[in-house]
Amino acid sequence: MRSPFQTSFAAVFANEVLLNTKRVAPYALMMLFSANAVLWWGWGPAVARGWATNSDFYIQRNLGGFSFILGLPIFTAVIMGDPVIRDFRLGVSLLILSTPAGRASYLLGKFFGNFFVLVCCQSAFTITTFLLQWVPFSGMVTLPVRVVPYFKHFFIIVVISHLVLAAIYFAAGTLTRNVKVVYGLAACFYPVFIGYQLLLKSLPTIVGVISDPLGWSAQFGLRADVWYRSADFLNQYVVTYGPAAYANRASMIIVSAVLLSIVYFRFRIDPEEKGMEHFTGLSLSEAPAQIAYSAPLHGLINLPGEATPARERKTLPKITSTRGASATLFKILAAMGVEFRLLRAERGFLVLIPLAIFLSFLSVPFSRIEPEISYSVTSASNTANMLLLFLACVIVFYTGEAMHRDRELKIEPVVWSAPVPNSVLLLSKWLAMTSLALLLVVVGSLTTIVTQLLRGHTPVDLSAYLIIDGVVVVPGIIFMTALVVVLNVLLRNKYLAYVVAVGTGAGLFYLYNLGYKHWSYNPLLYQLWKYNDLTSGKILAYRLYCLALAATCLALAHLLFERRST
Amino acid sequence: MLVIGDLVKTYSSGVQALKGVSLELHPGVFGLLGPNGSGKTTLMKIVATLLEPDSGTIEMNGADLLTRKDHTRRMLGYLPQDFGLYPTLTAWQMLDYFAKLKGVTDKKERHALIDALLDRVNLSSERRQRLGEFSGGMRQRLGIAQALIGEPELIIVDEPTAGLDPEERVRFHNLISETASENTVVLLSTHIVSDVSNVCSSMAIIRQGKILSACSPRQAVDQLKGSVWEGSVSREQLSAFKSQFNVISSRNFDGQARVRVISKGQRPSGEFTEATPVLEDYYFDFVNQN
Repeated sequence: MRSPFQTSFAAVFANEVLLNTKRVAPYALMMLFSANAVLWWGWGPAVARGWATNSDFYIQRNLGGFSFILGLPIFTAVIMGDPVIRDFRLGVSLLILSTPAGRASYLLGKFFGNFFVLVCCQSAFTITTFLLQWVPFSGMVTLPVRVVPYFKHFFIIVVISHLVLAAIYFAAGTLTRNVKVVYGLAACFYPVFIGYQLLLKSLPTIVGVISDPLGWSAQFGLRADVWYRSADFLNQYVVTYGPAAYANRASMIIVSAVLLSIVYFRFRIDPEEKGMEHFTGLSLSEAPAQIAYSAPLHGLINLPGEATPARERKTLPKITSTRGASATLFKILAAMGVEFRLLRAERGFLVLIPLAIFLSFLSVPFSRIEPEISYSVTSASNTANMLLLFLACVIVFYTGEAMHRDRELKIEPVVWSAPVPNSVLLLSKWLAMTSLALLLVVVGSLTTIVTQLLRGHTPVDLSAYLIIDGVVVVPGIIFMTALVVVLNVLLRNKYLAYVVAVGTGAGLFYLYNLGYKHWSYNPLLYQLWKYNDLTSGKILAYRLYCLALAATCLALAHLLFERRST
Repeated sequence: MLVIGDLVKTYSSGVQALKGVSLELHPGVFGLLGPNGSGKTTLMKIVATLLEPDSGTIEMNGADLLTRKDHTRRMLGYLPQDFGLYPTLTAWQMLDYFAKLKGVTDKKERHALIDALLDRVNLSSERRQRLGEFSGGMRQRLGIAQALIGEPELIIVDEPTAGLDPEERVRFHNLISETASENTVVLLSTHIVSDVSNVCSSMAIIRQGKILSACSPRQAVDQLKGSVWEGSVSREQLSAFKSQFNVISSRNFDGQARVRVISKGQRPSGEFTEATPVLEDYYFDFVNQN
């Protein structure tokens, strides 16, 4: 009998782990998670409230937060979305799939290999907090060193939650072979998950117990009143998991297995685009036996027979190449047009537009509550906040894909040898992504207006939409796109850029929620604006600052961009 | 005229790809022949402004190509060894994009140019076909079409026939021959000897980053007249024979080894007959000597 370490599953698994050890993204994730752990340990609420940093309650609380906040579900998409897509892109898939390794071994090896790497990255958070037990600082409460709770809660709260998310992303990526679908799903995770939690409140508890991927509905043994208990009580509190929690975790494992089964049965080995066969229309009899022009013939191929009469030499028409600023603008527009054409062909719009419509639909109050200023202001503000969160993810992933697409398709040397300035190569991507985001804002705002009308929340105040979108959303989009462009230029690795961008965004979000939200490092003005202030000089100055930051990012990108060949 | 002077390039890994390459290229097709890893692609990338040399010069009609990159790109048509295309675009859309990038702003001119290019590379009937459905040969033909946009004075074609079937290879040779004109230098790199013998008016052999020889294919073949022999030896004698003579090729035939030998001024043995030299003989003779 073969050892389990010698099976084709083990080979694929080990190879995935090996490949990931050569990527930068897993190491960047580990560093980010470790830094997070230090931040939450030393500067979280534990010290101020007298909670023991290694109490059962605090360990479980931190892991619950870690599983949801700071972009972990998005990082899961980064690691799990494209293992199979990469094989097809690199042309390795046919080599692997032509070996005796079965389809199940291949797919499961891919899935579990990458999931193992993901869990290793996540465990950096747990291991760091575990090790920090030995280095408490003054004022920090700690209990005697403990081991089991760290790993028990990590497995139940983090690993199983992300097993099901990993299965969703893996299934989407493998079956569509379109990484943009995965990133579209990742981008809408937070709005959809929050909306889903609100929906669960009006549904029977059992629905949440069975279907909540992060297990919030299952309570995980924590009662609601635990927050009103004293620090002494919480420090001694032993977290236990009830039947609902176990049912939820079992349900998630079953859902993951079902998703992987669907992947197994629906996975296609043949190339994606395979319509009818296309022939060149040439045949050997049509091909000239000898060179039709007067090139010297001194080689091995010296076929006998009569010389083929030279076909008419087709002259190319004369053209005039223009230069200067107008030509540069023309080239930017041409490159932008191609970006949009590719986006349309890759069906990116099919993913993004319905999501923007769905999220905007959720932004309009469902019931007729008395608004602070007007329904339009409330709806437009909700849509702006929802869309900014959604667009932040869309911009990070779609800009990353656009910036690295030419290299991945090996078209970069041809484009780079063309007489186009660097500004054309960079601005076309930036403009295309900014235009895409603006299009989604328009779609979202129109959806909100229509929803507002359908729900009878009249009158519709268009100026509220224009002011909120114009002052809050548009400069934010311009800034985010420019920032992601410079990150991609600087890091030259899209996965690293994803990790840094999402990590930075999540870190800033955490700081903002702790109360550190000064305008100088809060260019999106998160929690810094009210509708009545939007036309004030102060807010407009903040917006100018945001646009100046965007211009600086673009200037830096231009400065750092190099047409370097490898 | 393209003049390359004492070009040196060492990669950060320590591999010395070019060790003082100097060449003079006149209008016409110039073949750069060498085995894999000899430095051909490095040289091509440097001329195409995609790689910086450590030292050396490249001038085209007196203009420095290394410092005036924008000027170089305006006169350049480049077909890399391993290049891709946007699989979701059509052939026409792809050429339209490159024509725009090369500054052909006039719509009528651009459309006429694209039609003519597609006609020249025999892809007119596939103009609306998505590039993801193209065969290797069709992709190469489209690649040369994009390189011809903008009336380039210098066309660089890096290993264009690798992986093509014989029919496509002949077709590609025709295309390359068509591109050469009085004002255009075509630099063709290849490891396939017949590419050079079929289309090039002059050539150089490169190996381990050094130019071993530069001449015309005719001169190369003429140098071997009366020196190439063919005959049979027993298999047992083959290794001794190889140590004595410069054996270009040997294959088993009818129980014996059929060998092709270069032996200047001396018939290897009485059974050997003189053979017509071909460029491959010259190439292997040179490579064996070096």
